[in-house]
Formats: sequence, structure tokens, C-alpha cells
Amino acid sequence: MSAPQLKMGLIDRVAKYSRYLLLLPGFVLLLLFLLIPLSMIVGISFFERFTIAGPETFTLKNYIAFFTSPQMPTILLNTFGMSLLACFISFVLGYPMAYFLVFRVKSARARFFIVSLLLVPFLIDWSVRVVAWLPILGESGIINYALMSLGVIKEPLELLFGRSALLIIWPQTYLLWMIFPSYLALTRIDPDIINAAKVLKAPPHRVFLDVTFRLSLPGVVMGFIFVFVSALGDYITPALWAGGIQTLGLSVANYAANFVWPYAAALSTILVVIALLVLYVLLKVVDIKKLVY
Amino acid sequence: MGKALETKELVKWYGKEVLALNKVTFDVDAGDFFVIIGPSGCGKSTLLKIIAGILDYDSGKLYINGVDMKNVPSYKRDVSMMLENYALFPHMNVFDNVAFGLRMLGKDKSEIEKEVKEALKLVGLAGLEKRMPLELSGGQRQRVALARALVINPSILLLDEPLSHVDYRLQRKLMEDLKEIHRKVGNTFILTTHVQEHALSLADTVMVMNTGVIEQIGKPEEVYNNPATVFAARFVGEINLFSAQIKSWDGELCYLNTEIGELKANPKNKNALPSGDKVAYAVRPERVKIGEEARLCDNKIEAKLVSYYYFGHYMEYVFQAGGNTKIKVSVPTEKVGNLTLGSTYLLGWSAKDALLIEKPCMIEGLDIEEVIYGK
Amino acid sequence: MGWGDRLAKVYIALIILFIYLPVFFMIALSFKSGAKVSFPIEGLTLDWYIKPPTGYEYSAYISIMHDKNFFTALNNSLFVSIVTALLTCLLVTTTALALRKRIVGRDLLFYLFILGFIVPGVALGLGVTFMFRLFGIESSLLAVAAILTVYTVPFGLILMMSRFDPELATYEYAASVLKASPLSVFRRITLPLIIFEVISAAIIGFLLSWGEVIRTQFVMKGTGTLATYIKNELSINPITPKWFAAGTIIAIVAFIGLAIFAYIMSRRVR
Repeated sequence: MSAPQLKMGLIDRVAKYSRYLLLLPGFVLLLLFLLIPLSMIVGISFFERFTIAGPETFTLKNYIAFFTSPQMPTILLNTFGMSLLACFISFVLGYPMAYFLVFRVKSARARFFIVSLLLVPFLIDWSVRVVAWLPILGESGIINYALMSLGVIKEPLELLFGRSALLIIWPQTYLLWMIFPSYLALTRIDPDIINAAKVLKAPPHRVFLDVTFRLSLPGVVMGFIFVFVSALGDYITPALWAGGIQTLGLSVANYAANFVWPYAAALSTILVVIALLVLYVLLKVVDIKKLVY
Repeated sequence: MGKALETKELVKWYGKEVLALNKVTFDVDAGDFFVIIGPSGCGKSTLLKIIAGILDYDSGKLYINGVDMKNVPSYKRDVSMMLENYALFPHMNVFDNVAFGLRMLGKDKSEIEKEVKEALKLVGLAGLEKRMPLELSGGQRQRVALARALVINPSILLLDEPLSHVDYRLQRKLMEDLKEIHRKVGNTFILTTHVQEHALSLADTVMVMNTGVIEQIGKPEEVYNNPATVFAARFVGEINLFSAQIKSWDGELCYLNTEIGELKANPKNKNALPSGDKVAYAVRPERVKIGEEARLCDNKIEAKLVSYYYFGHYMEYVFQAGGNTKIKVSVPTEKVGNLTLGSTYLLGWSAKDALLIEKPCMIEGLDIEEVIYGK
Repeated sequence: MGWGDRLAKVYIALIILFIYLPVFFMIALSFKSGAKVSFPIEGLTLDWYIKPPTGYEYSAYISIMHDKNFFTALNNSLFVSIVTALLTCLLVTTTALALRKRIVGRDLLFYLFILGFIVPGVALGLGVTFMFRLFGIESSLLAVAAILTVYTVPFGLILMMSRFDPELATYEYAASVLKASPLSVFRRITLPLIIFEVISAAIIGFLLSWGEVIRTQFVMKGTGTLATYIKNELSINPITPKWFAAGTIIAIVAFIGLAIFAYIMSRRVR
């Protein structure tokens, strides 16, 4: 073999540091469209005004105003409680689906078909999908029609209004967000581990709780995070379809629409802190890195 | 004969905790079949990857054919490697796998075709060109990997545990083939293994490694008959080891105190050891005699037979002597007598057959008894 | 068949029903002649799809194929989603390739990328608005695509990293020992072995950005993407079967796209 140049060429040098160079594009995007905007929210939340010239007059007023306002408990409860409830409903509906898909649907073809089937409605426009509940659950929808003609109720139920609307729309919007990571985690379980538990005389419910579920927990946690922060950041559903349920997200949008920038920034900061806190707690329970490394 | 490979004080750290190579210095002659043996985690695989250039070393020198390899990327080195688990490219068939290196070297099509055919014939896989790696058996994959590494005709071929993932029969077959191929092509082969049998039967030169350091380098029979350290003795071949203290010398004959009583040894080149020194007293199982034959030996011990293992061409007996000391004795099958478990027999061996080893291992600060009885 | 399998079948069917129920109603009501989106259906018509406009209707009563804004929004959506898909697949691939190796601060970086999804959409939207305001940047479709990429990258990253062959690095080493230069290693080994994941990342980027409303709404000016346009129309104007017609068209296109994708997949898998 001829060995003309045994030293490192340019390509070799680039290759040697490739791991750092490869990080560069992603990091630039993060910096410009995540880290800078985030630090701006936090920064501006401590000022009185935000004009074209920049923020003016440092203050803690925004936070004090929020935490002393009479609506604060309701807003926090709506934000936190409704998002969490949406998570649980999604979990109850989604996890068995993922479980059955992995362990009960044996043929790969059938599994692929079902997953595709799940996907199609999610490609339909989100707002149309929400509105499509109207003929079912709306004031003159079939549920109310049926109940009223059976004489069970006299006045139509407001199913698509207020909190119940959130609990129908959110789970149906974010169901895939729960199924997808759970499915991923379940497929990563070595079947021999489950077989080992069975051989060691564990009854079916213990096999499930102590082995299958435990091992799929990173996926479940990931699903919870997905659904929770999606619901947390959604101000449109509360505003449009739930008739103005007061959540933090909606308040941010309202104050921003009225150009009360610093107060909107303070509420946003609180929202981000809540998201990070929940993330932290969930990560204490399970390390989601197990899903990927 | 020139040197294919020279290393000087190679050091490799994994993070700040693990010292994988601790000043490793050795040479390999061109054309040698060089076998590195050691337990898993001893650094042999790391060493191979450093030679191949897929790992960097932290300090020291590495020369291949006399050229310094600092900052020379893998693909510019005159080496080739068969990786553990073979790493056959799953998206290419057998022909493309073997042809890969030749294509990278820019050879022309007809030449590649000819050389791949030859290489596959050499490893006994002619006719399987169109198969995908997943459609091959373990033994076939191993051979494709070997052909792929060989076909680019490197001056050094590195083989990382090539024998470890196939069954015993295939191991034997591949060992024979490797030796024959080495004789035919004449390149330098460097092979790692954790199985002593492979090392002893394949190698021109054996290097015993122990967590980052070299214990001994030498011809297989040298290492077997004259282990430099207790570790090397334990790792190459079966051996009985007793912790001993030198009592006195009577000319060439050395008297020692051990846990099974006074033993004699007649070690070559070890006359300088002073009385009172702690050493390891070693005797190979095949040198120990049982019953009538033992009566004529210099060392005699009464011991109880506690178990035995049948290996086909020989039988290994395990005796217990003194307090809790096990002594292994191997006897060729045709010479096996009628021994009963639990009975006591006389064991004996000649002082000439005993070895004295004063060094526990090349890692500093370990007590000799720890190494004799430890792990 | 055990009771477990039967339960599984029933459950899967129920979930599919739950997801498809509104879709069935959407399709049925898109052919309804009246303007109210409720039963009973007085007559069937294709008016909501193709009826030429008189020029005097409110936008909610213009058939979908003649709604100019709908097609502007569709164009915007295609642009945003295609750019997002390309950016996502590029950034996910480079990042995943970098993060699979042991590098300083790998965990921190991983969580930083995940943060792109964790930060609630409304907060990020506000932050970007601030940034644009302070630096005097005009919002554009490209900016929307960039913000959506921050949101789609975590999904692609998780999927790609969890699907990487643990042996990938070994194949690369094997190739470089066999005299392949770093460029050849990437072109002949790495890329062919991860191409499926790369395409998946692009698809994820496309689909997620297609449906995204919250971030887009905050940053977008003008007609916006399809998702924000329809959302705004539905929130300002009366809800008519026109939008169910739009949904039905999207469903048909999505179904055909998925079928083509499934066909390609099944040929690949063999």
C-alpha cells in the first residue's frame, strides 16, 4: 500500500472534531429561537414597561400583582388541574392501546395498519376536528337530542363548554402524544425479561406492574410531559371552545393582545417555571434518557 | 527481521478513573503471529483499537513499520482489523462487504472481482457472494469478516477476539485455518483472546496482559514453562500454586515452608533468592504423580480425593491436603487407575518440576498471597 | 383466542371509534345542504365544495374550492411545513449523530433540546414576539418555520436516538479500518444505515408543523398557515359545513399520502 501523506488532512481534522461541529447547527437554532426568547420573557417580566426602545424601570410589581390578585387561585387550579386531568385521561385511554398494540397485535402488518389508522385523523386540521364534535356533543348535537327525546333532561347539556370541553378536546388532541412514547418504551422491553418474570411464578398482574409497566415508565413519563406541557401552552382551546376558562396560557394571550407586555411576560415566566417543575418531578421518578441512549 | 510494530510507554485513560493502558511497551516482529492474552477488561481490545487508529492514546509512542502514528487517521494506516462481533455492513452483501476496502483503495473493477473471489476461496466461502450478512451463520460471518480484513493485504492484521462468538468445533476449524492462512500470506497477525488454549496453540509469540500492563512476552513454551509472574502462571495453563517461604538452600536445592508442609524445589536461575523471602511455589498438574509412582519423588504429600473431571484425553483429579488446600493432578486417560472419592492417596512430584515465582504480577503494590489466592 | 386478545380487539376498536367518530360526522355533514352543522340533514349537496361564489357572500358561505384565502393559507402551510421538515431532518440528524458519542455535557445538551418542546407554546410565542420587537425584525414564514423547528426537533431527536443501531459506531470503525476516508464512511456507511430515521424525522417535522396553531398564531401575520387561518375563520365567523368540506379534502389527501408512504415502506421492508 502506498502511504504518501500520513498526516492529518483538513477532512481528518474536521472529522476529529465532528461531534462538536455537528452540534453547531442545532445549537444556533436553540440559541436564536429558544434561549434568547426565553431570557427575554424572564428579563422583561421584571420591568414596568416594554417599548420599542426597550424595557424601562425595574420592578417586582408584575409578580406581586399576580400573586395578590383574587383570580390567582382559580387560574392556577384551572391551569394545573385541567392539564393534569387531561394527562390522566390520555393515559387511561392511550396506555392500554399502546400495550395491546405491542403485546396483543402479533402481525407486524396489522400493527402498521392500526398505527396508520390512528394517524389519519391527526392530519386533519385541528380546529375542524374540534368543531366536528359539535354535531355530537353540541347544544343541538345527537347526544342532547337523544337525551331530550328520551325525557332524561329538559334543557340541553353544555357538554362542549367550560371544563368538560377541555377534558374532551385535550385528550382527543393529544392522545397520540401518550400512545407514541408508551409504544416506543414497550417495544424496547426485552420479551425474555417478561418471560423470566412468568417463569419465576409471578401472577399476571405482578408481571405487568413490576416488570412491564415499570420498564415502560420512561415512555409513560414522556407521554405525561408531552400532554401536560401541550395543554399548559394551549390558550386557544380555553378561549375558543371552552368559553374562556381562565388559565395562565389564556391570560398570557389576553394581556399580550392588549400590549401589557411585562405582565404577560411575568405570567409566561410562571408558566415556564410550572412546566420545568413538573418536568423536574417527573424526571426524579424516571430518567427519560433511558428511552434514547 | 524488521519490526512491524513498536510501542513505547503507551498510556490510555478512560475518563479520569480507568487507566486502560499503563505504559505499555513492546515490539512485534514482521511476519509474526502475535497473540495477546488476558482476562476481559485487561486492555487488550483497547490496545488493538489504538493500533488500528479508531481510538486515540494519551501519551507514548506508536510506530508501524517504523513510522510514527501520532495523528495518523485510521484509514491511512497500513493495518486492517477484524472487529469483535465482526461488524459486517448489514446493508451490503458478502461480495460488497469484502470488496469495500479494495474500492476504498481505488482498485479497478476486474481486479476487485478477482481479489474478492480469491479471498472468499481462501476462507472457504466461494459461491456465497450474493448473501446478506443476516442470512449467514455465525461461522460464515466470521469468515467474511476475516476475508474482508485480509483482502486489502495490510502489513498488520488485527484480530479482536475472533474466536469468541462461535462454538467449539468452529473455533478449532478456524484456528487451523488462521494458522494456515498466516503461513500462506506471511503478514503480521496480532490476535487477542481470553482463552489460553488459543494463545498457546496459535502464537509464535504470546503476550500476557493484566489490567493495563504486560505480564510477560515470550514463546508459548517459554511462558508455559517459565512464567514470569504468578498472574502469568495462573492465566496460561492449569497450575497448582502455594504460598511459600524460603527456609534454606542446599546447593541447587531449595527448602520451603508452605501450608501443606515442607516442599523442595530445584529452580533454574533462581539461586539468588535469599532465605525468608515469600514466593509462590508452583507445580503443573501433569507433573504430579499419584500412588506408587509418587514414592520415588522429592516431594510427597498425603491428600484426599475430593472430585474429578473427565476431559476425554485426560482426567483431572482434585485432591485436598493440609487444611483446605486443593491440588489438581492431571493424568492421561490411558494411565488412569482406579481411585475412589474420599480416599487418601500419596501425591508426589520432583523438585525439578517445581517452579518458584517471586513476582505476583506487574501491577505494583499487590501482596503475593493476594494474587495466589485472590480472584 | 384468549380473553386477553378479545379484550385487546374490543379496546383497540373503541379507541379507533373515539378518534374517528368526529371524522365520520365531519364527512357526512360536509355534504349537507343547510348552513347549520347539526342534524337532521335536509338534503345532500356538493355546494360546500365547489359552488361558484356570487361575490356577495360572507367568507363562511364561499365554497372551499373558491376560497382564495384558503389557497393562500395552503401555500403558506406547504412552505412552512416543507422548510420545517428539511430543517428538522437536518438538525435532528446532526444533533443525534453528535449526541450518541460521549461528549462533555451530553445530558445537559439533550435536555436543552428537549426544552424546545417543554417551554409552553404561548410563552415561547411571546418571547419570540419580544425578540422581534426589540431587534426590529419583521415576522416571516421563514421565522415561523424556525420556531416550529425548535418544537419539532425534540420529537425527531427522541425517535432517532432511540432507533439508532447500537452497532452504528462499530460499522463506522470497521469502514475506517478498511481504508474509508471520513467522507466515504459517512456516505457509504452512516447515511445508508440511518436513512430511514432521517426520512422519519422529516415526516415528523412536516406533520407537527402542519397542525401547529399556538406558536404559529403568536408569530404569524396576515393569512397565516392553514391551521391558523381555519382556526381564525371558525372563531370569528359562523361555523358552516364549508369547513367540514375542507377537513374532508385534507383527510382524503392525508389518506392518499399515507397509503403511498405505507406502500413505499412495505416495499422497503420486503
